[in-house]
Amino acid sequence: MTSLPATRTPALQLRGITKTFGHVIALAAVDLEARAGEVLAIVGDNGAGKSTLIKIISGVYRPDQGIMEVEGAAVAPGNPAEARRTGIATVFQDLALVEVLDVATNMFLGQFPRRGWFIDRAAMDSESRAFLDGLGVTVSSVRSQVGMLSGGQRQIIAIARAMRAGGKVVLLDEPTAALGVRETGQAARLIRSLRDQGCAVICVSHDMSFVFDLADRIQVMRLGRVAGVRQASATTRDEIVGLITGSVAADPADGQT
Amino acid sequence: MADIAQKTSPDPGLAVRARQRDWNRYTQQAGLVICIVALGAVFYAINSLFGSGSNLIELLRSATLYFIVACASTLVLVGGGLDFSIGAIYALGAVVTGLMIVNGGPWPLAIVAGIAVGVAFGIVNAVVSVRLRVPPLIATLGAFFVATGLADAITSGNDVYGFPNSFIGLGAGGVGGIPYLIFYAVAAGLIFHVLLERTVFGYNIRATGGNRTAAAANGIRVERLDIWLYAISGGVSALAGILGAARLSTASPAAGGADLTFQVITAIIIGGTSLFGGSGTIAGSALGAILFAEINNGLQVINVDPLYQDIFIGVILVAAVALDQYRRQRRFRLSR
Repeated sequence: MTSLPATRTPALQLRGITKTFGHVIALAAVDLEARAGEVLAIVGDNGAGKSTLIKIISGVYRPDQGIMEVEGAAVAPGNPAEARRTGIATVFQDLALVEVLDVATNMFLGQFPRRGWFIDRAAMDSESRAFLDGLGVTVSSVRSQVGMLSGGQRQIIAIARAMRAGGKVVLLDEPTAALGVRETGQAARLIRSLRDQGCAVICVSHDMSFVFDLADRIQVMRLGRVAGVRQASATTRDEIVGLITGSVAADPADGQT
Repeated sequence: MADIAQKTSPDPGLAVRARQRDWNRYTQQAGLVICIVALGAVFYAINSLFGSGSNLIELLRSATLYFIVACASTLVLVGGGLDFSIGAIYALGAVVTGLMIVNGGPWPLAIVAGIAVGVAFGIVNAVVSVRLRVPPLIATLGAFFVATGLADAITSGNDVYGFPNSFIGLGAGGVGGIPYLIFYAVAAGLIFHVLLERTVFGYNIRATGGNRTAAAANGIRVERLDIWLYAISGGVSALAGILGAARLSTASPAAGGADLTFQVITAIIIGGTSLFGGSGTIAGSALGAILFAEINNGLQVINVDPLYQDIFIGVILVAAVALDQYRRQRRFRLSR
Protein backbone atom coordinates (compact mmCIF):
# COMPACT_ATOMS: atom_id res chain seq x y z
CA MET A 1 0.00 0.00 0.00
CA THR A 2 2.83 2.37 0.85
CA SER A 3 5.01 2.19 -2.25
CA LEU A 4 2.97 3.03 -5.27
CA PRO A 5 4.92 3.44 -8.49
CA ALA A 6 6.55 6.85 -8.55
CA THR A 7 5.34 7.43 -12.09
CA ARG A 8 1.73 7.62 -10.99
CA THR A 9 0.25 11.11 -10.86
CA PRO A 10 0.12 12.29 -7.26
CA ALA A 11 -3.33 12.91 -5.83
CA LEU A 12 -2.19 16.38 -4.79
CA GLN A 13 0.87 18.22 -5.93
CA LEU A 14 2.09 21.66 -4.89
CA ARG A 15 5.00 23.31 -6.64
CA GLY A 16 6.73 26.50 -5.62
CA ILE A 17 3.98 27.72 -3.33
CA THR A 18 4.84 31.13 -1.89
CA LYS A 19 2.77 33.19 0.50
CA THR A 20 3.66 36.42 2.23
CA PHE A 21 1.80 38.49 4.78
CA GLY A 22 3.20 42.00 4.55
CA HIS A 23 6.90 41.60 5.22
CA VAL A 24 6.55 38.12 6.64
CA ILE A 25 7.33 35.30 4.24
CA ALA A 26 5.12 32.51 5.54
CA LEU A 27 5.94 30.07 2.76
CA ALA A 28 8.85 30.27 0.32
CA ALA A 29 8.70 28.03 -2.76
CA VAL A 30 7.19 25.06 -0.96
CA ASP A 31 6.63 21.77 -2.78
CA LEU A 32 4.41 18.98 -1.57
CA GLU A 33 3.31 15.69 -3.00
CA ALA A 34 0.53 13.56 -1.54
CA ARG A 35 -0.09 10.14 -3.08
CA ALA A 36 -3.22 8.04 -3.04
CA GLY A 37 -3.17 5.33 -0.39
CA GLU A 38 -0.53 7.08 1.64
CA VAL A 39 -0.39 9.15 4.83
CA LEU A 40 1.83 12.20 4.56
CA ALA A 41 2.62 13.84 7.88
CA ILE A 42 3.59 17.51 7.96
CA VAL A 43 5.62 18.45 11.01
CA GLY A 44 7.40 21.58 12.09
CA ASP A 45 7.83 24.05 14.89
CA ASN A 46 5.45 26.92 15.50
CA GLY A 47 5.88 29.46 12.73
CA ALA A 48 7.27 26.87 10.30
CA GLY A 49 4.39 27.54 7.91
CA LYS A 50 2.29 24.45 8.57
CA SER A 51 -0.98 26.23 9.12
CA THR A 52 -0.45 28.59 6.19
CA LEU A 53 0.22 25.57 4.00
CA ILE A 54 -2.89 23.77 5.18
CA LYS A 55 -4.97 26.90 4.65
CA ILE A 56 -3.73 27.18 1.08
CA ILE A 57 -4.51 23.54 0.32
CA SER A 58 -7.97 23.82 1.88
CA GLY A 59 -8.81 27.01 -0.01
CA VAL A 60 -8.84 29.44 2.92
CA TYR A 61 -5.87 31.39 1.47
CA ARG A 62 -4.75 31.82 -2.11
CA PRO A 63 -1.00 31.48 -2.70
CA ASP A 64 0.93 34.46 -4.11
CA GLN A 65 2.81 32.13 -6.43
CA GLY A 66 2.96 28.47 -7.23
CA ILE A 67 0.93 25.68 -8.74
CA MET A 68 -1.51 23.32 -7.13
CA GLU A 69 -2.76 20.21 -8.92
CA VAL A 70 -5.30 17.56 -7.97
CA GLU A 71 -4.65 14.37 -9.96
CA GLY A 72 -2.68 16.34 -12.49
CA ALA A 73 -5.29 19.05 -13.06
CA ALA A 74 -4.47 22.57 -11.92
CA VAL A 75 -6.81 23.92 -9.24
CA ALA A 76 -7.05 27.27 -7.46
CA PRO A 77 -9.79 26.96 -4.85
CA GLY A 78 -11.02 30.30 -3.56
CA ASN A 79 -12.78 28.87 -0.53
CA PRO A 80 -13.12 25.55 1.31
CA ALA A 81 -16.33 24.63 -0.51
CA GLU A 82 -14.57 24.99 -3.86
CA ALA A 83 -11.65 22.95 -2.56
CA ARG A 84 -14.05 20.22 -1.60
CA ARG A 85 -15.56 20.19 -5.06
CA THR A 86 -12.09 19.58 -6.46
CA GLY A 87 -11.74 16.60 -4.11
CA ILE A 88 -9.93 18.11 -1.12
CA ALA A 89 -11.77 17.53 2.16
CA THR A 90 -10.41 19.29 5.23
CA VAL A 91 -10.90 18.50 8.90
CA PHE A 92 -10.16 21.84 10.49
CA GLN A 93 -8.71 22.18 13.92
CA ASP A 94 -11.79 24.05 15.05
CA LEU A 95 -13.73 21.19 13.43
CA ALA A 96 -16.34 23.28 11.63
CA LEU A 97 -19.21 21.44 13.27
CA VAL A 98 -22.55 23.06 14.10
CA GLU A 99 -22.95 22.51 17.81
CA VAL A 100 -26.68 23.16 17.98
CA LEU A 101 -27.38 20.48 15.37
CA ASP A 102 -27.23 16.72 15.73
CA VAL A 103 -24.62 14.21 14.60
CA ALA A 104 -26.43 13.05 11.46
CA THR A 105 -27.11 16.60 10.29
CA ASN A 106 -23.46 17.50 10.80
CA MET A 107 -22.34 14.42 8.88
CA PHE A 108 -24.39 15.55 5.89
CA LEU A 109 -23.83 19.30 6.18
CA GLY A 110 -24.11 20.87 2.75
CA GLN A 111 -25.04 17.52 1.15
CA PHE A 112 -28.35 16.69 2.75
CA PRO A 113 -30.19 13.72 1.26
CA ARG A 114 -33.38 15.05 -0.24
CA ARG A 115 -36.70 14.07 -1.64
CA GLY A 116 -37.58 17.08 -3.72
CA TRP A 117 -37.50 20.06 -1.40
CA PHE A 118 -37.74 17.90 1.66
CA ILE A 119 -34.96 16.43 3.71
CA ASP A 120 -34.84 12.65 3.77
CA ARG A 121 -34.39 12.47 7.50
CA ALA A 122 -34.76 8.69 7.73
CA ALA A 123 -32.07 8.13 5.09
CA MET A 124 -29.81 10.66 6.78
CA ASP A 125 -30.16 8.95 10.16
CA SER A 126 -29.77 5.41 8.90
CA GLU A 127 -26.84 6.22 6.61
CA SER A 128 -25.06 8.08 9.39
CA ARG A 129 -25.70 5.21 11.76
CA ALA A 130 -24.47 2.63 9.25
CA PHE A 131 -21.44 4.70 8.38
CA LEU A 132 -20.40 5.23 11.99
CA ASP A 133 -21.07 1.60 12.85
CA GLY A 134 -18.96 0.57 9.89
CA LEU A 135 -16.11 2.60 11.33
CA GLY A 136 -16.66 1.10 14.76
CA VAL A 137 -17.43 4.54 16.13
CA THR A 138 -19.63 4.53 19.19
CA VAL A 139 -22.05 7.38 19.28
CA SER A 140 -25.14 6.34 21.14
CA SER A 141 -27.49 8.29 18.89
CA VAL A 142 -27.02 10.07 15.59
CA ARG A 143 -29.64 12.47 16.95
CA SER A 144 -27.34 13.59 19.76
CA GLN A 145 -26.61 17.26 19.63
CA VAL A 146 -22.93 17.76 18.73
CA GLY A 147 -22.62 20.35 21.51
CA MET A 148 -23.22 17.55 24.00
CA LEU A 149 -20.37 15.35 22.73
CA SER A 150 -16.83 15.22 24.10
CA GLY A 151 -13.93 16.75 22.19
CA GLY A 152 -12.87 13.30 21.04
CA GLN A 153 -16.28 12.35 19.78
CA ARG A 154 -16.47 15.61 17.87
CA GLN A 155 -13.10 14.93 16.27
CA ILE A 156 -14.29 11.50 15.22
CA ILE A 157 -17.48 12.98 13.74
CA ALA A 158 -15.44 15.56 11.83
CA ILE A 159 -13.14 12.90 10.39
CA ALA A 160 -16.07 10.66 9.60
CA ARG A 161 -17.71 13.52 7.73
CA ALA A 162 -14.61 14.05 5.61
CA MET A 163 -14.58 10.30 4.89
CA ARG A 164 -18.23 10.27 3.99
CA ALA A 165 -17.83 13.24 1.68
CA GLY A 166 -15.41 11.04 -0.23
CA GLY A 167 -12.52 13.39 -0.95
CA LYS A 168 -9.50 12.19 -2.92
CA VAL A 169 -7.33 14.20 -0.58
CA VAL A 170 -8.17 14.42 3.11
CA LEU A 171 -6.40 17.07 5.09
CA LEU A 172 -6.34 16.87 8.88
CA ASP A 173 -5.14 19.77 11.01
CA GLU A 174 -3.82 18.55 14.38
CA PRO A 175 -6.30 15.68 14.58
CA THR A 176 -5.14 14.63 18.04
CA ALA A 177 -4.80 18.05 19.64
CA ALA A 178 -7.87 17.71 21.84
CA LEU A 179 -7.87 13.95 22.28
CA GLY A 180 -7.13 11.56 25.09
CA VAL A 181 -5.16 8.33 24.62
CA ARG A 182 -8.12 6.14 23.66
CA GLU A 183 -9.56 8.71 21.32
CA THR A 184 -6.18 9.18 19.67
CA GLY A 185 -6.17 5.46 18.95
CA GLN A 186 -9.58 5.68 17.43
CA ALA A 187 -8.58 8.66 15.28
CA ALA A 188 -5.49 6.76 14.10
CA ARG A 189 -7.64 3.83 13.09
CA LEU A 190 -9.97 6.11 11.11
CA ILE A 191 -7.01 7.69 9.33
CA ARG A 192 -5.66 4.24 8.39
CA SER A 193 -8.98 3.22 6.99
CA LEU A 194 -9.07 6.45 4.97
CA ARG A 195 -5.68 5.53 3.55
CA ASP A 196 -6.76 1.97 2.83
CA GLN A 197 -9.74 3.32 0.89
CA GLY A 198 -7.19 4.95 -1.40
CA CYS A 199 -7.35 8.51 -0.14
CA ALA A 200 -4.28 10.65 0.01
CA VAL A 201 -4.16 11.68 3.66
CA ILE A 202 -2.25 14.75 4.79
CA CYS A 203 -1.92 15.11 8.51
CA VAL A 204 -0.43 18.09 10.33
CA SER A 205 0.64 17.11 13.81
CA HIS A 206 2.90 17.97 16.72
CA ASP A 207 2.51 14.51 18.18
CA MET A 208 5.65 12.57 17.18
CA SER A 209 4.49 9.17 18.36
CA PHE A 210 1.26 9.66 16.44
CA VAL A 211 3.24 10.69 13.35
CA PHE A 212 5.59 7.70 13.50
CA ASP A 213 2.72 5.37 14.23
CA LEU A 214 0.77 6.51 11.21
CA ALA A 215 2.75 8.25 8.51
CA ASP A 216 4.22 6.70 5.40
CA ARG A 217 6.19 9.82 4.62
CA ILE A 218 7.08 12.80 6.77
CA GLN A 219 7.56 16.31 5.41
CA VAL A 220 9.40 18.64 7.76
CA MET A 221 8.75 22.37 7.52
CA ARG A 222 11.14 24.94 8.92
CA LEU A 223 10.92 28.73 8.64
CA GLY A 224 8.55 28.61 5.69
CA ARG A 225 10.59 26.11 3.68
CA VAL A 226 10.69 22.36 3.26
CA ALA A 227 13.55 21.11 5.43
CA GLY A 228 13.20 17.56 4.17
CA VAL A 229 10.90 14.72 3.20
CA ARG A 230 11.58 11.24 4.56
CA GLN A 231 10.07 7.78 4.31
CA ALA A 232 8.90 7.07 7.85
CA SER A 233 10.43 3.61 7.66
CA ALA A 234 13.82 5.01 6.65
CA THR A 235 14.28 7.72 9.21
CA THR A 236 14.52 8.16 12.94
CA ARG A 237 12.80 10.33 15.40
CA ASP A 238 16.13 12.05 16.07
CA GLU A 239 16.59 12.97 12.42
CA ILE A 240 13.07 14.41 12.18
CA VAL A 241 13.45 16.38 15.39
CA GLY A 242 16.82 17.58 14.14
CA LEU A 243 15.26 18.80 10.90
CA ILE A 244 12.53 20.56 12.86
CA THR A 245 14.95 22.38 15.13
CA GLY A 246 17.61 22.97 12.49
CA SER A 247 20.32 20.89 14.21
CA VAL A 248 20.24 18.60 11.19
CA ALA A 249 20.91 20.58 8.00
CA ALA A 250 17.97 20.95 5.67
CA ASP A 251 18.05 19.30 2.27
CA PRO A 252 19.05 21.50 -0.69
CA ALA A 253 16.31 23.80 -1.86
CA ASP A 254 15.05 21.47 -4.57
CA GLY A 255 15.51 18.48 -2.30
CA GLN A 256 12.08 17.03 -2.51
CA THR A 257 12.84 14.44 -5.15
CA MET B 1 -13.20 -2.97 15.76
CA ALA B 2 -14.75 -4.68 18.73
CA ASP B 3 -11.95 -3.53 21.01
CA ILE B 4 -12.59 0.07 20.07
CA ALA B 5 -16.22 -0.29 20.93
CA GLN B 6 -15.17 -1.48 24.36
CA LYS B 7 -12.48 1.11 24.78
CA THR B 8 -14.68 4.09 24.16
CA SER B 9 -17.15 3.11 26.82
CA PRO B 10 -20.42 4.57 25.57
CA ASP B 11 -21.95 6.97 27.98
CA PRO B 12 -25.34 5.46 28.84
CA GLY B 13 -26.67 8.86 29.85
CA LEU B 14 -26.08 10.17 26.37
CA ALA B 15 -28.73 8.02 24.75
CA VAL B 16 -31.28 9.17 27.28
CA ARG B 17 -30.35 12.78 26.78
CA ALA B 18 -30.47 12.36 23.03
CA ARG B 19 -33.98 11.06 23.25
CA GLN B 20 -34.84 13.98 25.46
CA ARG B 21 -33.26 16.36 23.01
CA ASP B 22 -36.29 16.78 20.83
CA TRP B 23 -38.32 17.51 23.91
CA ASN B 24 -35.67 19.82 25.25
CA ARG B 25 -36.26 22.06 22.27
CA TYR B 26 -39.83 22.43 23.48
CA THR B 27 -39.38 22.83 27.24
CA GLN B 28 -39.45 26.58 27.01
CA GLN B 29 -42.66 26.26 25.01
CA ALA B 30 -44.14 24.10 27.78
CA GLY B 31 -43.29 26.88 30.22
CA LEU B 32 -45.00 29.34 27.89
CA VAL B 33 -48.15 27.24 27.66
CA ILE B 34 -48.31 27.11 31.44
CA CYS B 35 -47.75 30.85 31.56
CA ILE B 36 -50.53 31.48 29.01
CA VAL B 37 -52.99 29.20 30.82
CA ALA B 38 -52.18 30.59 34.28
CA LEU B 39 -52.49 34.18 33.12
CA GLY B 40 -55.76 33.28 31.39
CA ALA B 41 -57.05 31.77 34.62
CA VAL B 42 -56.25 34.99 36.49
CA PHE B 43 -58.00 37.15 33.88
CA TYR B 44 -60.97 34.77 33.87
CA ALA B 45 -61.22 34.83 37.67
CA ILE B 46 -61.31 38.63 37.66
CA ASN B 47 -63.73 38.92 34.74
CA SER B 48 -65.35 35.83 33.27
CA LEU B 49 -65.99 37.73 30.02
CA PHE B 50 -62.34 36.98 29.25
CA GLY B 51 -63.25 33.32 28.66
CA SER B 52 -66.16 33.96 26.31
CA GLY B 53 -65.88 32.45 22.84
CA SER B 54 -66.06 35.79 21.09
CA ASN B 55 -63.33 37.28 23.27
CA LEU B 56 -61.01 34.31 22.74
CA ILE B 57 -61.51 34.57 18.97
CA GLU B 58 -60.81 38.29 19.16
CA LEU B 59 -57.70 37.54 21.21
CA LEU B 60 -56.40 35.12 18.58
CA ARG B 61 -57.33 37.45 15.74
CA SER B 62 -55.35 40.24 17.33
CA ALA B 63 -52.27 37.98 17.30
CA THR B 64 -52.56 36.93 13.65
CA LEU B 65 -50.83 39.70 11.68
CA TYR B 66 -47.90 39.95 14.09
CA PHE B 67 -47.61 36.19 14.03
CA ILE B 68 -47.51 36.06 10.22
CA VAL B 69 -44.66 38.57 10.25
CA ALA B 70 -43.04 36.60 13.09
CA CYS B 71 -43.04 33.39 11.00
CA ALA B 72 -40.69 34.94 8.45
CA SER B 73 -38.65 36.76 11.08
CA THR B 74 -38.17 33.51 12.98
CA LEU B 75 -36.43 32.08 9.91
CA VAL B 76 -34.22 35.16 9.72
CA LEU B 77 -33.24 34.86 13.39
CA VAL B 78 -32.64 31.11 13.19
CA GLY B 79 -30.44 31.81 10.16
CA GLY B 80 -28.31 34.10 12.30
CA GLY B 81 -29.72 37.38 10.97
CA LEU B 82 -31.98 40.09 12.25
CA ASP B 83 -34.54 42.16 10.36
CA PHE B 84 -35.50 45.44 11.99
CA SER B 85 -37.18 46.83 8.90
CA ILE B 86 -40.30 44.62 9.16
CA GLY B 87 -42.50 47.25 10.84
CA ALA B 88 -41.73 49.86 8.18
CA ILE B 89 -42.15 47.42 5.28
CA TYR B 90 -45.53 46.47 6.79
CA ALA B 91 -46.65 50.09 6.39
CA LEU B 92 -44.99 50.62 3.01
CA GLY B 93 -46.51 47.46 1.51
CA ALA B 94 -49.94 48.56 2.74
CA VAL B 95 -49.78 52.07 1.31
CA VAL B 96 -48.29 50.97 -2.03
CA THR B 97 -51.16 48.52 -2.47
CA GLY B 98 -53.67 51.02 -1.12
CA LEU B 99 -52.59 53.81 -3.48
CA MET B 100 -52.69 51.49 -6.47
CA ILE B 101 -56.23 50.43 -5.60
CA VAL B 102 -57.60 53.94 -5.05
CA ASN B 103 -56.00 55.01 -8.32
CA GLY B 104 -57.98 52.38 -10.14
CA GLY B 105 -55.62 49.41 -10.19
CA PRO B 106 -57.13 45.94 -9.83
CA TRP B 107 -56.58 44.85 -6.24
CA PRO B 108 -54.91 41.48 -6.97
CA LEU B 109 -52.27 43.29 -9.00
CA ALA B 110 -51.96 45.92 -6.28
CA ILE B 111 -51.28 43.21 -3.71
CA VAL B 112 -48.57 41.69 -5.90
CA ALA B 113 -46.98 45.13 -6.28
CA GLY B 114 -47.05 45.73 -2.52
CA ILE B 115 -45.41 42.37 -1.85
CA ALA B 116 -42.83 43.02 -4.57
CA VAL B 117 -41.79 46.25 -2.85
CA GLY B 118 -41.29 44.28 0.38
CA VAL B 119 -39.25 41.60 -1.41
CA ALA B 120 -37.11 44.29 -3.04
CA PHE B 121 -36.37 45.85 0.34
CA GLY B 122 -35.46 42.41 1.69
CA ILE B 123 -33.03 41.77 -1.16
CA VAL B 124 -31.42 45.15 -0.60
CA ASN B 125 -31.12 44.35 3.13
CA ALA B 126 -29.32 41.11 2.37
CA VAL B 127 -27.03 42.56 -0.26
CA VAL B 128 -26.08 45.53 1.93
CA SER B 129 -25.29 43.31 4.90
CA VAL B 130 -23.44 40.64 2.92
CA ARG B 131 -21.63 42.65 0.25
CA LEU B 132 -20.96 45.87 2.13
CA ARG B 133 -20.41 43.96 5.38
CA VAL B 134 -22.82 46.18 7.27
CA PRO B 135 -24.20 44.29 10.30
CA PRO B 136 -27.84 43.23 9.68
CA LEU B 137 -28.99 45.33 12.64
CA ILE B 138 -27.66 48.49 10.97
CA ALA B 139 -28.60 47.56 7.41
CA THR B 140 -32.21 46.81 8.34
CA LEU B 141 -32.41 49.79 10.68
CA GLY B 142 -31.42 51.94 7.72
CA ALA B 143 -34.05 50.21 5.60
CA PHE B 144 -36.57 50.88 8.36
CA PHE B 145 -36.09 54.62 8.02
CA VAL B 146 -36.02 54.57 4.23
CA ALA B 147 -39.24 52.52 4.05
CA THR B 148 -40.96 54.70 6.66
CA GLY B 149 -39.90 57.81 4.77
CA LEU B 150 -41.14 56.40 1.47
CA ALA B 151 -44.49 55.45 2.98
CA ASP B 152 -44.87 58.98 4.35
CA ALA B 153 -43.69 60.61 1.15
CA ILE B 154 -45.97 58.80 -1.29
CA THR B 155 -49.03 59.36 0.93
CA SER B 156 -48.00 62.85 2.16
CA GLY B 157 -48.51 61.31 5.57
CA ASN B 158 -52.23 60.74 5.00
CA ASP B 159 -54.22 57.55 5.38
CA VAL B 160 -55.36 55.88 2.16
CA TYR B 161 -58.93 54.58 1.98
CA GLY B 162 -61.83 53.91 -0.35
CA PHE B 163 -61.24 50.24 -1.10
CA PRO B 164 -63.69 47.87 -2.81
CA ASN B 165 -65.49 45.43 -0.56
CA SER B 166 -63.88 42.47 -2.28
CA PHE B 167 -60.49 43.69 -1.03
CA ILE B 168 -61.74 44.65 2.43
CA GLY B 169 -63.28 41.20 2.77
CA LEU B 170 -59.83 39.60 2.61
CA GLY B 171 -58.93 41.13 5.95
CA ALA B 172 -62.27 41.79 7.60
CA GLY B 173 -64.26 38.77 6.48
CA GLY B 174 -64.70 35.39 8.05
CA VAL B 175 -66.53 32.14 7.93
CA GLY B 176 -68.61 30.59 10.70
CA GLY B 177 -67.74 33.42 13.06
CA ILE B 178 -64.01 32.82 12.61
CA PRO B 179 -62.09 35.61 10.85
CA TYR B 180 -60.16 34.70 7.71
CA LEU B 181 -57.09 36.15 9.41
CA ILE B 182 -57.01 33.21 11.80
CA PHE B 183 -57.01 30.79 8.86
CA TYR B 184 -54.21 32.72 7.19
CA ALA B 185 -52.15 32.64 10.39
CA VAL B 186 -52.67 28.89 10.82
CA ALA B 187 -51.69 28.30 7.19
CA ALA B 188 -48.61 30.51 7.54
CA GLY B 189 -47.65 28.71 10.74
CA LEU B 190 -47.90 25.29 9.11
CA ILE B 191 -46.02 26.33 5.98
CA PHE B 192 -43.16 27.95 7.89
CA HIS B 193 -43.00 25.12 10.40
CA VAL B 194 -42.60 22.55 7.63
CA LEU B 195 -40.13 24.83 5.84
CA LEU B 196 -37.93 25.08 8.92
CA GLU B 197 -38.20 21.52 10.23
CA ARG B 198 -38.50 19.35 7.15
CA THR B 199 -36.89 20.94 4.13
CA VAL B 200 -33.32 21.21 2.92
CA PHE B 201 -33.81 24.99 3.01
CA GLY B 202 -34.72 24.80 6.70
CA TYR B 203 -31.72 22.62 7.55
CA ASN B 204 -29.46 25.01 5.67
CA ILE B 205 -30.96 27.90 7.67
CA ARG B 206 -30.24 26.18 10.97
CA ALA B 207 -26.74 25.14 9.96
CA THR B 208 -25.90 28.66 8.78
CA GLY B 209 -27.28 30.26 11.93
CA GLY B 210 -25.57 27.68 14.13
CA ASN B 211 -22.11 28.09 12.61
CA ARG B 212 -21.84 30.21 9.50
CA THR B 213 -18.19 29.35 8.87
CA ALA B 214 -18.86 25.63 9.08
CA ALA B 215 -21.90 25.91 6.84
CA ALA B 216 -19.94 27.82 4.20
CA ALA B 217 -16.95 25.49 4.45
CA ASN B 218 -19.27 22.57 3.75
CA GLY B 219 -20.75 24.04 0.64
CA ILE B 220 -23.90 25.77 1.90
CA ARG B 221 -24.30 28.98 -0.08
CA VAL B 222 -24.79 31.22 2.90
CA GLU B 223 -25.01 34.49 1.00
CA ARG B 224 -27.71 33.21 -1.32
CA LEU B 225 -29.53 31.91 1.76
CA ASP B 226 -29.41 35.41 3.29
CA ILE B 227 -30.99 36.88 0.18
CA TRP B 228 -33.83 34.36 0.37
CA LEU B 229 -34.39 34.94 4.08
CA TYR B 230 -34.55 38.72 3.90
CA ALA B 231 -36.62 38.61 0.70
CA ILE B 232 -39.14 36.32 2.40
CA SER B 233 -39.13 38.52 5.49
CA GLY B 234 -39.77 41.66 3.40
CA GLY B 235 -42.46 40.04 1.25
CA VAL B 236 -44.32 38.52 4.20
CA SER B 237 -44.15 41.79 6.19
CA ALA B 238 -45.64 43.68 3.25
CA LEU B 239 -48.37 41.05 2.82
CA ALA B 240 -49.27 41.30 6.51
CA GLY B 241 -49.48 45.08 6.18
CA ILE B 242 -51.76 44.71 3.17
CA LEU B 243 -54.07 42.34 5.08
CA GLY B 244 -54.06 44.79 7.99
CA ALA B 245 -55.10 47.57 5.60
CA ALA B 246 -57.90 45.39 4.26
CA ARG B 247 -59.14 44.64 7.76
CA LEU B 248 -59.26 48.32 8.74
CA SER B 249 -60.35 49.51 5.25
CA THR B 250 -57.46 51.94 5.59
CA ALA B 251 -53.82 51.85 4.61
CA SER B 252 -51.95 54.05 7.04
CA PRO B 253 -48.28 55.05 6.69
CA ALA B 254 -48.22 55.05 10.51
CA ALA B 255 -49.25 51.38 10.80
CA GLY B 256 -46.73 48.82 12.00
CA GLY B 257 -43.60 50.82 12.66
CA ALA B 258 -41.18 50.37 15.51
CA ASP B 259 -43.96 48.95 17.70
CA LEU B 260 -44.47 46.05 15.33
CA THR B 261 -40.75 45.42 14.90
CA PHE B 262 -40.15 45.30 18.63
CA GLN B 263 -43.24 43.27 19.47
CA VAL B 264 -42.56 40.68 16.78
CA ILE B 265 -38.91 40.20 17.73
CA THR B 266 -39.85 40.11 21.41
CA ALA B 267 -42.55 37.49 20.79
CA ILE B 268 -40.07 35.35 18.85
CA ILE B 269 -37.46 35.51 21.60
CA ILE B 270 -40.04 34.79 24.31
CA GLY B 271 -40.91 31.79 22.16
CA GLY B 272 -37.42 30.37 22.61
CA THR B 273 -35.67 31.38 19.40
CA SER B 274 -32.06 32.27 20.00
CA LEU B 275 -30.97 35.79 19.15
CA PHE B 276 -27.62 34.25 18.17
CA GLY B 277 -28.96 31.92 15.49
CA GLY B 278 -29.22 28.20 14.97
CA SER B 279 -32.21 27.37 17.09
CA GLY B 280 -35.84 28.33 17.27
CA THR B 281 -39.29 27.07 16.39
CA ILE B 282 -42.41 28.44 14.71
CA ALA B 283 -44.51 26.90 17.50
CA GLY B 284 -42.58 28.98 20.01
CA SER B 285 -43.16 32.15 18.02
CA ALA B 286 -46.88 31.34 17.86
CA LEU B 287 -47.00 31.01 21.64
CA GLY B 288 -45.02 34.22 22.05
CA ALA B 289 -47.47 36.06 19.82
CA ILE B 290 -50.44 34.58 21.68
CA LEU B 291 -48.97 35.57 25.06
CA PHE B 292 -48.57 39.12 23.79
CA ALA B 293 -52.16 39.21 22.55
CA GLU B 294 -53.39 37.71 25.80
CA ILE B 295 -51.67 40.36 27.90
CA ASN B 296 -53.10 43.14 25.72
CA ASN B 297 -56.56 41.66 25.63
CA GLY B 298 -56.74 40.49 29.26
CA LEU B 299 -55.62 43.78 30.74
CA GLN B 300 -58.32 45.54 28.74
CA VAL B 301 -60.98 43.05 29.84
CA ILE B 302 -60.08 43.51 33.51
CA ASN B 303 -59.92 47.28 33.03
CA VAL B 304 -56.24 47.82 33.67
CA ASP B 305 -54.92 50.92 32.00
CA PRO B 306 -53.25 49.77 28.74
CA LEU B 307 -50.33 51.98 29.68
CA TYR B 308 -49.24 49.27 32.11
CA GLN B 309 -49.02 46.56 29.46
CA ASP B 310 -45.48 47.31 28.42
CA ILE B 311 -44.26 46.81 31.97
CA PHE B 312 -45.60 43.24 31.98
CA ILE B 313 -44.12 42.53 28.58
CA GLY B 314 -40.69 43.85 29.51
CA VAL B 315 -40.53 41.71 32.62
CA ILE B 316 -41.69 38.59 30.77
CA LEU B 317 -39.13 39.09 27.98
CA VAL B 318 -36.16 39.36 30.31
CA ALA B 319 -37.40 36.49 32.48
CA ALA B 320 -37.88 34.21 29.47
CA VAL B 321 -34.41 34.86 28.10
CA ALA B 322 -32.77 34.55 31.53
CA LEU B 323 -34.50 31.21 32.03
CA ASP B 324 -33.36 30.03 28.60
CA GLN B 325 -29.74 31.00 29.28
CA TYR B 326 -29.81 29.20 32.61
CA ARG B 327 -31.26 26.07 31.00
CA ARG B 328 -28.71 26.09 28.18
CA GLN B 329 -25.72 26.47 30.47
CA ARG B 330 -26.90 23.69 32.73
CA ARG B 331 -27.45 21.34 29.82
CA PHE B 332 -24.06 21.91 28.23
CA ARG B 333 -22.18 21.84 31.52
CA LEU B 334 -23.70 18.50 32.41
CA SER B 335 -22.58 16.95 29.19
CA ARG B 336 -18.93 17.94 29.05
